[in-house]
Amino acid sequence: MQRKPSTYLMSAVAAVLALIAPFCMPINIATEIVIFSIFALATYLLISVAGLYSFGQAAFFGVGGYIAGYLYINTDVPLFVGLLLAALGSAVAALVVGMMSIKRIGIYFMMLTFAFNQMIFYLAYSWHSVTGGEDGLGGIRRPDITIPGVGKIDLSNHVNFYVLCAVLFVVVFAGLYQMMRSPLGLVLSAAKQNMRRTDSLGFSVYRAQLLAFVVAGAASGVAGALFAMLYRIMPIDAISWHSSGTAVFMVIIGGMSSIFGPVIGAAIFIWLQGFFSLMWARWPLLFGVFIILVVLFLKGGAIELFDRVRRLVTGARGERSAP
Amino acid sequence: MTANPYAFEARNVTKKFGANMVIEDLSIGFEPGMLHSILGPNGAGKTTLFNLLTRDLPVTSGEILLNGNTVTKLKPHQIARRGVGRSYQISSVYLDLTFQENVWLAAYRAAHGGRIGWWRRVEHYDGLRAQASQLLAKLGLEQYEHTLARSVSYGDQRLLEIAVTLATRPEILLLDEPTAGLSQRETERVKTFIASIKSAYTIVMIEHKMNVVMEISDRIHVMNRGALIAAGTAAEISQNQAVHAAYFGL
Repeated sequence: MQRKPSTYLMSAVAAVLALIAPFCMPINIATEIVIFSIFALATYLLISVAGLYSFGQAAFFGVGGYIAGYLYINTDVPLFVGLLLAALGSAVAALVVGMMSIKRIGIYFMMLTFAFNQMIFYLAYSWHSVTGGEDGLGGIRRPDITIPGVGKIDLSNHVNFYVLCAVLFVVVFAGLYQMMRSPLGLVLSAAKQNMRRTDSLGFSVYRAQLLAFVVAGAASGVAGALFAMLYRIMPIDAISWHSSGTAVFMVIIGGMSSIFGPVIGAAIFIWLQGFFSLMWARWPLLFGVFIILVVLFLKGGAIELFDRVRRLVTGARGERSAP
Repeated sequence: MTANPYAFEARNVTKKFGANMVIEDLSIGFEPGMLHSILGPNGAGKTTLFNLLTRDLPVTSGEILLNGNTVTKLKPHQIARRGVGRSYQISSVYLDLTFQENVWLAAYRAAHGGRIGWWRRVEHYDGLRAQASQLLAKLGLEQYEHTLARSVSYGDQRLLEIAVTLATRPEILLLDEPTAGLSQRETERVKTFIASIKSAYTIVMIEHKMNVVMEISDRIHVMNRGALIAAGTAAEISQNQAVHAAYFGL
């Protein structure tokens, strides 16, 4: 059995990264990075661990964002109730989509998730009274948190809001990492390598993959809810297939051989997006070139780059270990 | 009413792929506690029969019975949970997992039924790890315990596949060409191993190496063009004219 680092150790590293981030960049950028890291981690669980190439994760990100946004605008629900309902709503949506999509594999699965994403997008687009349609759902408040003994924490303060997002990021990171090291993680990894064999051992691959799909949907919903609070608006674009593609790009840019890959991918993606948009109005063109270069010359993403540098420095040779 | 004498049975089974009839009205049964071998030239429908028995393929018509109960509509994982372990013609171990992880996974399923834990870490199941190690040692694979399956020879992958299949704690073992791709020495090792465990299981084995089949089988079934043409002991089969005709055109 390969010895894997403990969840405490990995979570501590994630917490240190989250602690350092706001000292290296503007707080809003750091907040966006940790929120998209949650979204990318959920996508990583599906793509890298379960082998489910979902192009519909934005649907669950959007469902979470709209549920939290709607509740925070129209009701006085406490922060964590809103987040919980956002996660629950996204999990239910993922359950329905997953039950139908996971019956197919490969390109057919991809197309089904893509089609469901578009359906949910048009539902949000048309349901103007609830979602704000094309204009997005604006005026989302950030409810205060009251902690006994500490008092009221004002989340309209950017630093406080960042701390909330960072804590949730570490919680999601730890939860997903622990899950990936559990029998479920091993079954998903086995099914990714050989689905037929995993079935013949007596595991219901369908149920295992569906569970992963629902967990990823719930985590995407939490990310969506935080995103809606960050800019106090849930734009319609956030639920489009472009947004699903963004999460997949983050995973590819960061690399799939480590759980830190999607986190690094989210950071690079958001930083580059800002950087390129300052350089040139037609920045998506530059971004496209960057993605092409990564796919052509750095298939393992940023993690592979670190690996190559490490091997260069230490003079180490030989095969990389299995993910 | 007499009890069903078979542990596993295909009754009047037909399998068509489009217009192509691969198996036609085949009835074959495997008595418990015996080692059955299935012989037949390429294209006889042997592996298709395995796929029908384990529900990897649906039957076009007919019935599959396990311990006298019909399982024709079950899914492959449900058949496995009823005590049917299977190895494949082409090695199908998990190449990116270690030997121990490969066996552990099967042992976990056997110990926990259909439930899949999603929190406790894999390395914390000490009993299952010990079980996996013991099984690997039984097949002489202990030195590869922490080696990725992709790093070893094909022969060792075949042996690992048998270990994985046994770790599911099956009552019925379906072995599809367990010695395919093995050297003479490895074949001997597998043959001796199968002979040593045959009293504990009902084994159905597809095998092309005649010496293996003749030496360890209790009963041999010969198929040709999707039909059963003969069944009997090694001595009976070696004298059977229909078998000679199918193999040598005599």
